[in-house]
Amino acid sequence: MSEYAISIASNMGMIAFVALSAYVVLVVGEISFGQQAYFGIGAYVSGMATAMWGWPFGFALVLGSCVAAIAAFAVGALTLRLRGLYFAIATLCFAEMIRLGLNSIHVQVEIDGEPVGPDGAEGFGDIRWMFEHDVTTLEYMFIIYALLGAVLVVLLLVERSNLGAVIRMIGQDPLLARSQGIDVGTCKLLVIVFSGMIAGLGGCLYAHFATYIEPNVFNVMLGVHALAYGLIGGLGTALGPIIGVVLDIGFLEGVRAIQGYRMIAFGGLVAILLIIMPRGILDEVRIHHIKRWLRRQ
Amino acid sequence: MLKLDDLSKHFDGVRAVDGLSLEVDQGEVFGLIGPNGSGKSTTVNLICGVLSATRGKVTFKGRDLHGLPPHRRLNAGISRTFQNIRLFGELTVWQNVWIARRDAPGREAGFIRNWFGSSARTREAIEETLVFADLAGRANDLAQNLAFGEQRRLELARAVAARPDLILLDEPAAGMNREEVEDLRQRILALKHDGITVLLVEHVMELVMGVTDRIAVLNFGKLIALGTPGEIQGNAAVREAYLGSPDSESA
Repeated sequence: MSEYAISIASNMGMIAFVALSAYVVLVVGEISFGQQAYFGIGAYVSGMATAMWGWPFGFALVLGSCVAAIAAFAVGALTLRLRGLYFAIATLCFAEMIRLGLNSIHVQVEIDGEPVGPDGAEGFGDIRWMFEHDVTTLEYMFIIYALLGAVLVVLLLVERSNLGAVIRMIGQDPLLARSQGIDVGTCKLLVIVFSGMIAGLGGCLYAHFATYIEPNVFNVMLGVHALAYGLIGGLGTALGPIIGVVLDIGFLEGVRAIQGYRMIAFGGLVAILLIIMPRGILDEVRIHHIKRWLRRQ
Repeated sequence: MLKLDDLSKHFDGVRAVDGLSLEVDQGEVFGLIGPNGSGKSTTVNLICGVLSATRGKVTFKGRDLHGLPPHRRLNAGISRTFQNIRLFGELTVWQNVWIARRDAPGREAGFIRNWFGSSARTREAIEETLVFADLAGRANDLAQNLAFGEQRRLELARAVAARPDLILLDEPAAGMNREEVEDLRQRILALKHDGITVLLVEHVMELVMGVTDRIAVLNFGKLIALGTPGEIQGNAAVREAYLGSPDSESA
């Protein structure tokens, strides 16, 4: 594989984490414009863990996703009573708060005579774990896809389960779900926490892949893309957002000939799909038909 | 079994339900009728806990339901159907019934197993409920693909599946033809036979008169008559509420 192909594939893998995290919130019936913040939190925390405190990579991953999950818990608990537009605005505000907060955070330690750590808007460089441990980009890509695969397996298992049915019920009609004895608030909160964890994990991977991160990477456009991936690929299965990522990054950005037109094509694609397939290519009904067909075979 | 005591609900000065007191006995089919806007649906919502009362209380099996949220009331033994059909359209018929009949955590199948499967007993109970509702062949269809009458039956199946002591039916016959109404009547009698108490809110008089043991009539949130179907049919106040008084007629 060429370095270019590896970097596109790795990017797809890492962005898939944010896409999945936006997707699970969509499935439970809310639109979050703030998933990029968890991605950013994961990136910063895990970067600090390895670059500043010399933690092993694995622990940094756990720490980064846990801190992101805790942040998601806080946001989820505060926004539990909000619905629709209000939830969307609240999550967007939170994410912007985090981004602007990162812009003014300077925590640096001296390592080998060089200052290392987040330096406000200047960003946070020298997250060099990959080089220090001789991990090639190809190997790193496998790490990304192994973790993504694990997350996907968990999501697909949950979707097949009764718990998955309950989550979809909340997304479709929370009042009816409530009248059926479902504790809607707790379920939603759990999903939001899980979404934060997934996005955080993706962020951890991103920081160590890019070796340099800055607050502006985690701006609202990342969140908007994350949402769009689910809406393109479909909200009927966790594979939906993956399809969205592949279409956008793999095809539009990956194929050099059309690279320059990416945003134009992407915007058009989203607009067309929202009109003809409002819940994406693999929506609930299509997934139902596919499952049926598979059962008959 | 169900007791309403001076139950009142005011919306910004509108007295939707105003000092309503009545008692529904164990095992009876109790009708609640009245002209549009007389407070029937509000009463149902107060019993289910979707709305909270301005004044008064609801007692169920001797227990004051005050402050009990809707999802707890289901566990307490009250289930309902909705005036406008409410189903999880993008989920299967089976799942729509399962949600009402699922195993309680830690009781029948264990918490984790619960989320990933259902106990054999539960599956059997769901099958039975689907047979009761004539939907056995459609278990794997999406609820939104069912015909209108089937969707109504699925709602009923869901309400029954919760193994309630009391079922609130909120205008179940709305939009049904004669045959379907008769079919529904048979099903309500079957519920009664199984010892389930039914509170029926309905406009279709044919059904109300043909299935209830007692009827309460509401007008402007107040109880204006209570009695057997025969008594209600002959009641002058009820006729006036439905048809208007002779004075207002000429006005």
